[in-house]
Amino acid sequence: MSALVPHLVGAIGAQTIIDAIGQGSIYALMAVGIGLVFGVLRLVNFAYGQLIMAGAYALAYSSQAGWPVWVGIVVCFAVVLALSLGMERAVFRPLRSQSPAVMLIATFAIAFTLQAAALLIDVRDGQIGQPAASIASLNRAIVVGGVDVRKVTIVAVAVAIGALALLAAILGRTRIGLQMRAASSDFLTARMIGVRANTVITVAVLLAGALAAAVAVILTIQSPLVTPDFALIDTVVVLVGVVVGGIDRLWTATLGGFTIGFAQGVINGALPTDKTVFLPSIVFALVVVVLIVKPAGLFVRGRSSVIDRV
Amino acid sequence: MIKSKRGALSALLAALVTVAAVAAGSASAAGKPIVIGWAFDSKGNMSPFDGPALAAANVRIKEINGKGGVNGRPLSITTCDTQNNDPAKAKSCAASLLGKGADIIFTTCDVDYATPVVQESINAGKLTIAPCIGTDQMGPKRFGAKGKLAFSFGNVAQDEGSAMAEYAYARGWKTAATATNTLLAYFKIVVQAFEARFTQLGGKVVDRESYATGANNVQNAVSRINAAKAAVYVTVTSFGELPAFVTGIRSLGNNTPILNSWAGDGTYWVPKSGVSNYYAVTYASAFGDDPNPAVNALAKAVKAGTGGFVTGAAAIDGVVSAIKRAGGSTDGAKLAAVMEKFNKVPTISGLVTFSPALHSVSGRQYRVIRIEGTTEKVVGSVVAKTVPKVG
Repeated sequence: MSALVPHLVGAIGAQTIIDAIGQGSIYALMAVGIGLVFGVLRLVNFAYGQLIMAGAYALAYSSQAGWPVWVGIVVCFAVVLALSLGMERAVFRPLRSQSPAVMLIATFAIAFTLQAAALLIDVRDGQIGQPAASIASLNRAIVVGGVDVRKVTIVAVAVAIGALALLAAILGRTRIGLQMRAASSDFLTARMIGVRANTVITVAVLLAGALAAAVAVILTIQSPLVTPDFALIDTVVVLVGVVVGGIDRLWTATLGGFTIGFAQGVINGALPTDKTVFLPSIVFALVVVVLIVKPAGLFVRGRSSVIDRV
Repeated sequence: MIKSKRGALSALLAALVTVAAVAAGSASAAGKPIVIGWAFDSKGNMSPFDGPALAAANVRIKEINGKGGVNGRPLSITTCDTQNNDPAKAKSCAASLLGKGADIIFTTCDVDYATPVVQESINAGKLTIAPCIGTDQMGPKRFGAKGKLAFSFGNVAQDEGSAMAEYAYARGWKTAATATNTLLAYFKIVVQAFEARFTQLGGKVVDRESYATGANNVQNAVSRINAAKAAVYVTVTSFGELPAFVTGIRSLGNNTPILNSWAGDGTYWVPKSGVSNYYAVTYASAFGDDPNPAVNALAKAVKAGTGGFVTGAAAIDGVVSAIKRAGGSTDGAKLAAVMEKFNKVPTISGLVTFSPALHSVSGRQYRVIRIEGTTEKVVGSVVAKTVPKVG
């Protein structure tokens, strides 16, 4: 163990940092989507990964149909937004007054339904997995000081920053943004003073859907084979990251998503290659430590209110 | 005297009755089908393997029955869907197939998924066959004494890795860098066997990397292996990590040959932009250019996506040989004893050898396929001369 620590520190090179930033940025985008829905609905949407998966399949089938990449991207956004809207109307809205546990389980059910449906559709050709032709050229690297910086990493960082800036503008400078912030603080009071609940929630769900579609495009650049469990593990990791960062605020949730992606990349890069099998154990052990030390969230100031359990 | 005459007459009558009974029994058995109960996954994760193998077996059985069957008895297949290899469903499938009078049980191509079916079947004393489990686990090693009844017509992973090493070395690739997907024992053992045999041949493994399905770390392995100067990169994987690994390396401007096992056969994973300098060592060509015309006909009939389909037909060939060598018996123990003695028994996928310790195939003549762009083509064949003791 004593020999392992210096190795870990020494092994974190510039390449590892760059790769980790790329991963962190994608996770940050996912965290924004998850955090946005949680903010207005108090709902942890476990089915968020299946939205990404659906978008990725849309890209795959569009490319197989011989459509240009830009058409595929449009279809991807259309499919994810339609699914997001359908999910909100068919499930979230009727269950809005139910407990968070009921809504969470509903999202589990949606997730597994979509995954099972994807498997049935995918396997029709006798194979599992469909290659997606996304913007493959973005997977190429630019060499900067001996370090390979993939263009997709730059795009992921830019999209994450751009999306956050856009959201900040919407939340801070528009009427619907104001309503969303009000709903996020106290949904019942916001409704009483005239905030249109359905509109606010629909906008939040659609914005989260648009981010999921963007993530689908970015992920398929590096992982072109789309399978029914596409983005599933990523979603679980990001959900953990969002809680670790502080799920009550969009910024802290986003930082949590970035941090867990970045930490995962750095730890993986630092570990001796034959020890990478320990990566999930190390990452999630750190998560437990952070939750014990800062239960309200790593980036939240002060302490959260304590909930009586007994 | 009278008593003795009566006694003799009675004995004669009894003998005649016995002979008549035996004769009648033989006559009825002559046309009785040999039933293969096949527990398969129709639409789940194993369906891409089970479906083509089952289809190929059906084609082969039709041919065999057309030529008079096995010792005059036709073969027939009864199936049961394990519904994505749900363990409870798989177990009940096995019980149901046995209840329908299956003489031999066939199961899915992954030993973990196959276990409920295998246990149910070997407990009933039936010969149990997996068309393409690719490790040495299908047999006594995993299932103990009763595992004597379990066989796979898939390759021993050690044999496959060894064949990959022989091909790489013969191609003049004297240095290799390996990247292991640590998810499955099969993946790991093939790479270990490659490394062992490659080193034995005089090659040098200059870098060893690893990643895992679900750990989201294949790009880290790509970055690391890209820094290694080797004549060939060896990885054994399928799933999403396969195109991520291959396109990841190519996108860095690195065109070093990449060598994979059967896990990386087929073009279903190849993006529209194509791949280059990619090789896989596999059972057979699924794309009509196999050196064996019978394989090409079969591939066309079953619309195969990878060479694994051929194991379904090969398993039928093997079972037929075993039944014939056992004098027509379908008794599990008798068939297993015969199969343990298989030494270069011909099947549609080449010569098959088993041993009491090893119930999966070694010594198979593999096809080497190369993918350029989106097209797969056979570029050679290879047989492992030795099976390294790894795993």
